[in-house]
Amino acid sequence: MFWEWWQSLFVDMTASSFFNFSFLPKYGEAVIQGVVYTLILSVVSVLMAVLPAFLLATMRLSKNNIIRSISGAYIAVFRSTPLLVQLMLIYYGVFSWIPVPNFLILGFIDASRFIPGVVALSLNSSAYVAEIFRAGILAVDHGQMEAARSLGLSQGQAMKLVILPQAIKNVLPALANEMITMIKESSVCMVLGMSEIMFTAQTIAGSTMISIGPYMIAAFIYFLITYPTSKVIENVERRMRRGDKN
Amino acid sequence: METRTDYIIQVKDLVKTYNHGAVVALNHCSLDVKKGQVIAIIGPSGSGKSTMLRSLNLLEEPTSGEIYFNDVELTSKKIDLNLHRQKMGMVFQHFNLFPHKTVLENITLAPVTLKIQTEEEAKGVALQLLDRVGLLDKADEYPNMLSGGQKQRIAIVRALAMEPEVMLFDEPTSALDPEMVGEVLDVMKELAQEGMTMIVVTHEMGFAREVADEIIFMADGEIVERGMAEDIFAHPKMQRTKNFIDKVL
Ligand SMILES: Nc1ncnc2c1ncn2[C@@H]1O[C@H](COP(=O)(O)OP(=O)(O)O)[C@@H](O)[C@H]1O
Ligand SMILES: [Mg+2]
Repeated sequence: MFWEWWQSLFVDMTASSFFNFSFLPKYGEAVIQGVVYTLILSVVSVLMAVLPAFLLATMRLSKNNIIRSISGAYIAVFRSTPLLVQLMLIYYGVFSWIPVPNFLILGFIDASRFIPGVVALSLNSSAYVAEIFRAGILAVDHGQMEAARSLGLSQGQAMKLVILPQAIKNVLPALANEMITMIKESSVCMVLGMSEIMFTAQTIAGSTMISIGPYMIAAFIYFLITYPTSKVIENVERRMRRGDKN
Repeated sequence: METRTDYIIQVKDLVKTYNHGAVVALNHCSLDVKKGQVIAIIGPSGSGKSTMLRSLNLLEEPTSGEIYFNDVELTSKKIDLNLHRQKMGMVFQHFNLFPHKTVLENITLAPVTLKIQTEEEAKGVALQLLDRVGLLDKADEYPNMLSGGQKQRIAIVRALAMEPEVMLFDEPTSALDPEMVGEVLDVMKELAQEGMTMIVVTHEMGFAREVADEIIFMADGEIVERGMAEDIFAHPKMQRTKNFIDKVL
């Protein structure tokens, strides 16, 4: 009984099916487009998150209770619900009211999906980046603001000329890490048919009947992008910390 | 309404509490300082010296009481505080130089940003002041390349570049290695001799005695005693003052 069942597992699914990459010659270009799509999607999303995140972080540090809690609520909601849910609500909810132009970016990125996708990802990302900025600003020694204010600089001038230049240095590694996270997280966009890495893998699997190989390639690509990048960031961070000690 | 007085700084019945009144840092303190006076504030740790000093330019917002600078009430909401802070230089225990700016940029940042001097003028003023404290060759260095004594002299120069009418010092030598204390005190002495109005929180009793016109002794958030240096050190009137003087001398 058991043996029959056990052997049946290997009839259509052998270990080698994990490494069946025979689809590559035909679908190589699609895979590359998928990679480019993922990179553009995640980089654009995080960059678009920077400005709202800065605003949220500033609000979060405000003395005004109401302003502070508006920002706090935004951050809490976006960090405490799944990105997939946010994506669905924004795509099917919000963007059913907002017309999106229908054209192709670079010949293969469908704007009518890409734009809602980027909006959802950057709204999500801005909650995380806001916390990164807040921590970066708070990490600047309190005495810096006091010295600047004692010279007669306004709060805004002190922020712009003294605090932020130091905070930016603090947050760059965390921001790069957020980019890496987004490269992986952006895979949820496959549910909207955005032809990034995961959607491409799914499409290939469907049309070639090779069910595992395409996802193996996807995993391999994600790893190849994110792992070395995170190592580089770690290195830069370590060197920056050493520089600070003097 | 402004009434002219001889005082550059007046503090009236200042109270400062923290944690919703749980900590009383300043308990009904009053103080006045005439132009050109050098005042040393001494007292045990936690007695409210820093809070007093930092209240003068409203780095700490008073819980109640009034603070006047050149007969303008700083505690009033109607004034532009930044404008008055320009004329009150402050030097901190931990220097607080801007680490991302060179020495020269540290000094010129405020005067140029506030359009008090052009970039050229500010540079001229800065170099002249740096020369005076013997640090002309450090103009293009970053603060992390400097010793504590050098950092503090530059912090003093940074404040002086704004041409302040009063200089506030909060334990300017407490974070320094002993061999660097002298070079900073020398700069401060010179300033005092030139007639700068100075309020100095310090543990350097020698400096207080030699340079200060008057000494204020604080304890438990109160100004316990104020007097000429000789009187405070030799014949303190209050027991708390006497106890403190006996301990530190
Ligand atoms: N930000 C703060 N929050 C709470 N308590 C404070 C704060 N700053 C100062 N204090 C308290 O106020 C008192 C006076 O402090 P401070 O003025 O720094 O004393 P000093 O400079 O004489 O050592 C101390 O008891 C201190 O703990
Ligand atoms: Mg103190």
